Amino acid sequence: MKGIPVVFFLLLIGEGSGLIHWLENHLLSCPFKTWTGIDCPGCGLQRSLVALLKGDVWMSFKFYPATLPILALFIFTILHLKFDFKNGAFLIKLMYIFATVIIVTSYIYKIYHHQLF
Amino acid sequence: MSEEQEGQVPNSQPNPENSQNAQQSQNTQNPQWQQNPQGYQHFNQPNPGNPFPPYGGGFGGMQMALPNATITLVLGILSIVTCCCFYGIIGVVLGVVALILSRKDKENYLANMNYYTVSSYKNLNAGRVCAIIGLILSAIIVLLCIVFAIFFGFSTLTDEEAIKQMLQELQ
Repeated sequence: MKGIPVVFFLLLIGEGSGLIHWLENHLLSCPFKTWTGIDCPGCGLQRSLVALLKGDVWMSFKFYPATLPILALFIFTILHLKFDFKNGAFLIKLMYIFATVIIVTSYIYKIYHHQLF
Repeated sequence: MSEEQEGQVPNSQPNPENSQNAQQSQNTQNPQWQQNPQGYQHFNQPNPGNPFPPYGGGFGGMQMALPNATITLVLGILSIVTCCCFYGIIGVVLGVVALILSRKDKENYLANMNYYTVSSYKNLNAGRVCAIIGLILSAIIVLLCIVFAIFFGFSTLTDEEAIKQMLQELQ
């Protein structure tokens, strides 16, 4: 169980380019997008993650601004569950609200600037 | 100073230990302890017959984590990430499951606080907040989808060109 992250990390380093290439060609398609052609509030997350794996933070931010906060929230939650920080629960709440605000704001921005299609 | 010595401290030693003893007796309000100041000075407990420490709860001070706290936290956080998948249905399901799991635990904790750790209760509350926010967001998306489908019909929803046209008319 403990070895899984290590193996994943080794995979990522060892054949990183191959993994990214595979990911790029196997993105899950959002049913909302395939049905309607309109972006949903979660669209762009996978593209943004792939861009982040490539090391392109700015492109990742442009695809989906909430990726970094969400990732930070995930990592912090795992650390908190493991080490039990003093104000961890409060910080998790704060980060969660922060991520939510960013998601909603970016979607409203998208609607306003006609980037939905 | 002299009044305190007369009133509460039976053994009269003229050094700072005296004031410490006076404090202790104020804390415990049990002058019997003062007769043995070396043995039980650190042990200011109201009733010496109780083998359990006052914060420890039942089983010799062992406190358990709430059983569903971690699951609630994880589900609550996942509910925001999946709020947009499949028209928001997954987010709604995860949020509802987290809320149901947390409700029982909250009742448990409030019924007997001494058995469970405070940190796990904090985790549970954070999970609840996350689940509520995720539930609201994904419920909004589900409602929007339904309203969309009712007003314009599924034929419009599945046709990209028709939607573009409709949105342009709306603006």
